[in-house]
Parts: sequence; C-alpha cells; structure tokens
Amino acid sequence: MATVDQSSKFSNVFWPIVAWVVALIFFFPIFWMVFTSFKTDADAVKPEFLFSFKPTLDNYLNMTENYDYWRFAINSVITSTFATLLALVVGVPAAYAMAFNPSRHTKDVLVWMLSTKMLPAAAVLYPMTFLTKNFLDIYDTHFLIIVVLCLINLPIVIWMLFTYFKEIPKEIIEAGKMDGVSTWGEIKDILLPLAWGGVASTALLTFIFCWNEAYWTVRLTTTEAATLSKLIEGNRAPEGLFFGRLSAVSTAAVGPIVVLGWFCQKQLVRGLTFGAVK
Amino acid sequence: MAKRTLPRLLQTPAVILLLLWMLVPLGMTLYFSFIRYVLNSLRRPEWTTPSISNWRGFGNYEYVFNSKDFWFAVQNSLFIVVSILVLTVILGLAFAMLVNRSFPGRGIVRVLLISPFFVMPAVNAVLWINMILDPVLGLNGLAVEGINSMIAGLRDFPVLGAFFSLWPELEPISFRATQTSAYAVIMMVTWQWTPFAVLIFMTSLQSEDEQQKEAAILDGAGSWSRFINLTVPHLARPIAIVVMIQSIFHLSLYAEIEIVSRGNGNKNLPYLIGEFTSNNIGAASAAGVFAVILANIVAIFLLRMVGKNLMD
Repeated sequence: MATVDQSSKFSNVFWPIVAWVVALIFFFPIFWMVFTSFKTDADAVKPEFLFSFKPTLDNYLNMTENYDYWRFAINSVITSTFATLLALVVGVPAAYAMAFNPSRHTKDVLVWMLSTKMLPAAAVLYPMTFLTKNFLDIYDTHFLIIVVLCLINLPIVIWMLFTYFKEIPKEIIEAGKMDGVSTWGEIKDILLPLAWGGVASTALLTFIFCWNEAYWTVRLTTTEAATLSKLIEGNRAPEGLFFGRLSAVSTAAVGPIVVLGWFCQKQLVRGLTFGAVK
Repeated sequence: MAKRTLPRLLQTPAVILLLLWMLVPLGMTLYFSFIRYVLNSLRRPEWTTPSISNWRGFGNYEYVFNSKDFWFAVQNSLFIVVSILVLTVILGLAFAMLVNRSFPGRGIVRVLLISPFFVMPAVNAVLWINMILDPVLGLNGLAVEGINSMIAGLRDFPVLGAFFSLWPELEPISFRATQTSAYAVIMMVTWQWTPFAVLIFMTSLQSEDEQQKEAAILDGAGSWSRFINLTVPHLARPIAIVVMIQSIFHLSLYAEIEIVSRGNGNKNLPYLIGEFTSNNIGAASAAGVFAVILANIVAIFLLRMVGKNLMD
C-alpha cells in the first residue's frame, strides 16, 4: 500500500497541474479575443504591443458605428427569444402527452422527431429559399427565422422535456386527474411547477442553440432579419486591419452566451445526447 | 380511455409542424432532382421554371456522380469529419480523466474547458483564421517571426553561430491554401467540440462503479490496466454517441468552410450543394439527396441506440 500512497502523492500534484495547463490552453483563444478587443486596430497587429499596450474601450464604443452591432444583436435577441418560446409552447404539451399518456407509437414518434433533426440543411436549401421567397414571401423576415429556429430545435426541446417529465411520478399527475383537474390545469398547476427546473434549462439551452445557429440565419436573410452570425460571417477576412474592432464585436456577440453556457453545462449533456447519457 | 384522447392530441401540433418541415422541402428536393432546372439559361429559357415536362430521369444524378468536384467534396467531407472525430474522442477522453478527480480549482478548470463549445461557429472561424492562424498578422505569423529573429540573433555568437547559420528561415504555414484550409477547419472544430466530448465522458465517468475499481486496485491492477479493462468498456456507449452525434453535425459543416476559404479548393458536400444552388438546381438537388442518404446511414445507428433505452 505504501507505494500506492507515494504514487498518489505525486499524481495529486502532477495531474492537477496538467489539467490547469490544458484548460488554460483551451481557453486561450477566447482570452485572446477579449484581450485584443482592448487594443486599437493599429496596436493589435504590432508584435511589440503583443502583451503590453494601452488599453482602450474605443472598439466597444464605436461598435454601432463600425458594424451597426445593435441592429444585428437585437435581431438575434428577438429571433432567439421568440423561437425558444414558440418551441416551448409547442413542445410542452407534446412532451406532456408523450410522458404521461403514451401510446404504442409514442416511442416511434419520438425517434422520428429526432430523425428530422438529422436532415442535412444543405439538401433543402433551394426549396426553402424558393418557398420563402417566391411562394410565401416571408424571406428575410423575423417571422421566418423564428419559425425555422423553432423547428430545427423542436425535436431537442421535446426530447429534453420528455426526459425531465419522465422523472415526475405518474401518480402525482394521476391524482390531479382524480380530483377532476382539466388537462390544461394539470399542465399549468401540477406539471410545470414540478418540472420548472427542467423547463428552464431546456429554454436556456434552446436559446443558446438559436443564438449560435449559422446556416439558416445566414442563408435566409439579407438585411432585415440578419442576426449576429450573419454580421460576423460578413467580416470573414478583414485582412488584419481591424483585429481590435473585430475582437470587440465578436466578444460582444459571444460573451453573454458563453456565460449562459456555464450555467447549463449539465443540461447540455442531456439535451445533446437525447437522454442517452445521464 | 376517452379521457386520454385529449391529452394525446396535444402532440399533434408538434407532429404536424415537423411533418411539414420535413416533407415539403424534401419532397421538392426529390422532385427537382429528376428534372432539368436551372436559374439562368439564355439558350433554354424553358428550363428556368420547374416543370414535369423537363423530366430528366437520373440525368442529374449522373451529372453529379461524373463530376470530379462531387467526389472530391465527398472525400473532403469524410476526411474532415473523421479527423475531427478521432481528435475529439482522444482529447475528450484524456481531459475527462484529468478533471475526474478532485483538486483545487476543479470547477474553474471545467468552466474554462467547456467554454469553447458556446462560441458561435462564425466567431470561432473568424477568430481562428485571422487572429491565430494568419501567416503574417496572426499568432502563427508572429510566432514564426519571433523564432526566426531569435535564430538570427544566435547566428552572431562565436561558435554556436556557425551551427545556427545552417538553419533555414522558417516559413509560416498559410491556412488559406487548398489542403491546409481543411486542417484549419479541423483545428477550429476540434477546439469547439472537444468540450462536448469532455462533458459527456465526464458525466459518464461519474457513474462508474467505484467498488469495482477499488477491488481492481486491491488485486494489484495498475492504473493503465484499470483504464483499459474497466473505464474504456464503461465508456463504449458514450463514445459511440459522441461519434454519431458529431458525425451528424459535422457532415453539414458550413460556416467554417465558407469563412476559412470560401470553399476555395476546400469544398465539402454542403458547400458544393450551395455552389450548385447558385444556378443548377437539378444538380444541387441530386447532391442533396445523396447528402440525405449519407446522413441517414449514420442516423439509423444513432436512433437505434437512443431508442433502445427510451422507455425505461
């Protein structure tokens, strides 16, 4: 046993140091982006100012002027918020039905829903453009982006809610039924208060996915409903002239979401593995 | 039983919405893939409106399969996906083992490790290709320049200088060139998705049987053999899930390809479809149908696995 103790003494110091080093390396690109956002564009590309420079807030103050940041940010907020709400409005009743009143086909329905998520977006790019531009005339509207974001996340929303709802004892819901509570009352007064945490983390995760979505939000918008993904994508090659301001706008675009993400690490596993890893 | 009808009906809006979302565009893609349909044609204006009279049979598929671009795109898609998978699983396992013990600041280490996953893909790509990988202005260029000037300085030394003067000037790698831009994409996506693997492996390591492990220690099993014989089999399922979910996401990788190279020599299947879409809708649709089939091959395995432990 003595040898085990000795080796664990060594590894108790060594492996945590390795873990810290790895974590710092992994975080470095994000750190570098935030760090550079406080440099002027000129300083940002000069090696002599790599680490010592005069910090400035100009990049943040000029964000509206340089990039029209708020227009895109507001679009991101609007589309992500309403898409999340819409997904919950459609998803909560569906997950309720499947968790508490399953039929023989519930399992197949759930698996089928998930399969819609696996459809490669590129395969239906033209039909979507055609339908929304020529047929429905809703191309580049908030409405379209909200509906699309809702639909691509709906399977995940229903799956996550389903796994949370399954954890609630059926008896509690049944008891409500005995007392003559309506279906709506069951959801509103019994289920939602009990599953509040699950619903909240589902909402949070869906919001993050909506915010980061970069295919439909780029391909189905031009100016009106363009989100932050579109803004950043449009500045793909600034030729190094604008590292400072580009870092600032990037930091502003991802900062809130990264912080939100820290709060829902655990739920992320459930949401992304469809309850297969717990 | 009548009491259950209403609650069950509550899932219909979701089912109908997803059904429409899936069937309508996919049906159109399937239809377009069998007709001649281009957006601009001075020579054959009748091809610019979709119509059954422009039926082409499997002509679009033949055209796509005979194009060199298509096979290159398929190959490149697979190369990118497989590389990312291998890297994220290995790194994810290693990092999950690292943080699966208690030490000071473990919470912070986890937060730092997981952060890249929440960075939006567009920012990820712009950040990496410009500020880190740019051969002149990025850290890549600066680092190589730093090493070069250090070597140049060493050349002035009396004895060692002779040795260092034999060293060539280092050239920074440009990640916007044809093959290297695929590496850039692999790097940035691996950075973004390793946290995902870490998260899942970490979750599943916590449910590992500690007693079994302790018994193995008492039996004199070394840490490597414990890892190979106990931990890896325990993680087989999470590994499979990480592989499948990532395959589905990365087969449709787009923003990174577009930002890094505008697909310049580094096309993957979604990018090629996007390119066809600018004029030849028939070909885009045929390639799209192929992409659906490719994704479904992966999806079937995943769905089976997820479906199996669904109702317990």
